[in-house]
Amino acid sequence: MDQTTAMYVAQGLHGLAYGMVLFLIAAGLNVIFGMMGVLNLAHASFFMLSAYLGFQFVSITGNFWLALLLAPPATAICGVLMERFLLTKVHAFGHMGELILTLGVAQIILAAVKGIWGTESLPLKMPPILEGRVTFAGLDYPIYRLFIIGLALAILAVMTLLLYKTRLGKIVRAAVSDAGMVNALGINIPLVFMMVFGIGIWMAGVAGVAIAPILTVFPGLADQVGMDAFIVVVTGGFGSLLGAFVVSIIFGLLSSYGVQFFSQFASVLIVGFMAIVLAIRPNGLFGARDA
Amino acid sequence: MNILETRGLFHDFSGLQVLSDVNLQIRDGERHALIGPNGAGKTTLFNVVTGTYAPSRGQVFFKGRDVTGWAPNELSRIGMGRSFQITSTFGRLSAFQNIRLAILSKRGIRFSLFRSVDKMREITRETEAVLDRINLTAERDRAASALSYGKHRALEISLALATDPELVMLDEFAAGMSRDETHYAVDLVRRLTEGKTVVLIEHDMDVVFSLADRITVLHRGEILATGTPTEIRHNQAVKDAYLGDLEV
Amino acid sequence: MRRALAALSWVAGAVALAVLPTTVGPYYTNVFVTFAIFSVFSVSLNLLLGYTGLFSFGHAMFFGAGGYGTALALKHVSGLALLPAVGAGVLASLVLALVLAPIVVRVSGTAFAMLHLAFSQVLYVLALKLRAITGGEDGIGNFPIPPLNIPGVASLPMKDSPQNFYYFAIVLLALSLWLMWFFTKTPFGQVQLAIRENAKRTDYLGFKVPQSKAVIYLVSAAFAGVSGSLYGLFHNLVSADGAFGALVSFAPIINIMIGGIGSFMGPILGTALFLVIEEVTSRFTERVELVIGLIFVFVIMFAPLGVLGTAKMLKQRWLAGRTARDAVQRAA
Repeated sequence: MDQTTAMYVAQGLHGLAYGMVLFLIAAGLNVIFGMMGVLNLAHASFFMLSAYLGFQFVSITGNFWLALLLAPPATAICGVLMERFLLTKVHAFGHMGELILTLGVAQIILAAVKGIWGTESLPLKMPPILEGRVTFAGLDYPIYRLFIIGLALAILAVMTLLLYKTRLGKIVRAAVSDAGMVNALGINIPLVFMMVFGIGIWMAGVAGVAIAPILTVFPGLADQVGMDAFIVVVTGGFGSLLGAFVVSIIFGLLSSYGVQFFSQFASVLIVGFMAIVLAIRPNGLFGARDA
Repeated sequence: MNILETRGLFHDFSGLQVLSDVNLQIRDGERHALIGPNGAGKTTLFNVVTGTYAPSRGQVFFKGRDVTGWAPNELSRIGMGRSFQITSTFGRLSAFQNIRLAILSKRGIRFSLFRSVDKMREITRETEAVLDRINLTAERDRAASALSYGKHRALEISLALATDPELVMLDEFAAGMSRDETHYAVDLVRRLTEGKTVVLIEHDMDVVFSLADRITVLHRGEILATGTPTEIRHNQAVKDAYLGDLEV
Repeated sequence: MRRALAALSWVAGAVALAVLPTTVGPYYTNVFVTFAIFSVFSVSLNLLLGYTGLFSFGHAMFFGAGGYGTALALKHVSGLALLPAVGAGVLASLVLALVLAPIVVRVSGTAFAMLHLAFSQVLYVLALKLRAITGGEDGIGNFPIPPLNIPGVASLPMKDSPQNFYYFAIVLLALSLWLMWFFTKTPFGQVQLAIRENAKRTDYLGFKVPQSKAVIYLVSAAFAGVSGSLYGLFHNLVSADGAFGALVSFAPIINIMIGGIGSFMGPILGTALFLVIEEVTSRFTERVELVIGLIFVFVIMFAPLGVLGTAKMLKQRWLAGRTARDAVQRAA
């Protein structure tokens, strides 16, 4: 392909990569909301925490893959601890209680991260095997971004399989629909919640380590990417995985093409898109669930 | 004159047909019971009539007007009241505040921003009168959710009636009550609905036969029969559907 | 007797407010002005949150709109008087609320909270990016602050007179508080409570719920606009962070939670307490996030009703206990 097309495709792939990362975060957020009715405002903070933990693992072992393997589960454990010991205690106060609690935890994680690692932005080196570029169809493209897209799609595939082909998946889907009923059928709902919560955070954790080499690790990660992921969930519709997927991709593309063509105003483009969607459909593009 | 009529009413939920060609006719001033087994569509019919949702097909007429698809608040303002099977009051507000809200709505005082509500003597007086009629004067300042079950139910019914509607729809008003409480509730309803038209969903046949002028039997979303209590008691189709257990 | 006492305490309070600047000096006078501004801001949010049950995460939008409205008006309209300038700020908030109302009154619960967070983000980004209008990160500063002209009586300069500004602000803020208080006492205030308790039943009783929510929304926004406008005047600066930043968004929520969500005075008490907490903890740590986070977590887990709410609950329990004890004693 010629130069201009190559540039557009490259931008598109950048956007796709970012969109996939957003989706990993938004998907977890969405399923947790769909099933438990809890909007976890600390979700993006865990995403960031995992990036920091990944940085730490790389600092100690020098091995990116180890970081990618260990940081997300470590973060997931923190998330599950929050769910078990804090979140369950505030259910009585309804949504507001959960929002405030997770907001508080988000602030604490931010403070912890600044306190332990400082406020400077830290680099996380990608593994040598993923450095460099690959050439296809006349386009010279960085391997790492392709890796991100591949990783996200692989996780998506595994999750879809789990959700639709296993007994556990069936239980989770039922629980998203009617947790009370599933509980009444004798299934240990708190355990299911805990597992889904853990997996959701794990996915965000993977996203954190994956995007770290590109964005670097800094305290504003949660706010920056978190806000984007949150906008994805709101625009796509609470509880709708399809909505999250579609909107993640749109956002990824908007943000990368937006930066190219509108530079300063790319972020305006994104929030503008959200505002338009919400004005027409306040519950999001695919949203149906009424909080 | 029929104060309430449904014509060719159909309703389905995602493909599940809940109401089929329901043609209900409620005469002005009568007390009409709606009975039928669980899942027959009674509450759905109530919901369609009172505006919770619009029917998939068909029309609802109230006082001769086509009110199909009207919202609950619009219907309330033209004289329709509704009570709920699962008590739905303003939990943390006092019994007094609960009734007062209904009175304010009745008087059309819905957006008033310029007076202190506690100083509106007329409103206070009317509210106290209602509380007195349902014997809740002693508990007037108690939170609704802190009332005993029977009194809470009385408040529930009273909320539906305090806006002084011409037609009142009562959904199992005696739900969960003991024998004595039920007798008391039936008496209360009879007293409070004097001069009004009442449609009630009921499972308790004692209540039905002591209150209803006419009965409509709903079965699998269709009207099986309509008639006086005696006619219904002897209706073969009804007996078949219920396997004869309408004997009282 | 009670009435006399109440009246007396109001008079005493008014006198205390009147002599405050001369007694406590400029630093604490300024602290008090900040306290007053955030009290009004928090109470305005509580109209939505505590009274109507609508949780808004982005109330800072209206605070910011008020600030920018006033600042822009003063910057571009030469010779604009002080009160109309504040009015411009309130108008900006109202316009924003009018634009958003049709969308937000149709959703409730989490969706409402999130939509607000999203919209306030939009405004934050707009404030940062539309440099030409808003001055971007630097904001609008040093705009002219006209004196307060009371026709025929006096012209009180505001710009470099903290004392004059104090009196002006306090009068305006006290008036705002009184108006909001009265609002909760009207018949419409009862509708607010009804919507909070049971929006569905409110509908069935004949009230127009979305329209009612819209009215509450507008009133709440207007008063947030007043506080934002005064804040801008107070600092002679409006900027994206100062108007829409996270702290401004969270502060009223914290104030309401600490002080008590179920009462009118709760947010005011909470504002005072939080200012004290901020002042004290700032000596130990720069990490204001830690303080905020810990407060949120502790309050929601152990004292979700706030100071006033918990006090009321304890008093009711004590009273109930006393009634029971009395009954037992009489029976004995």
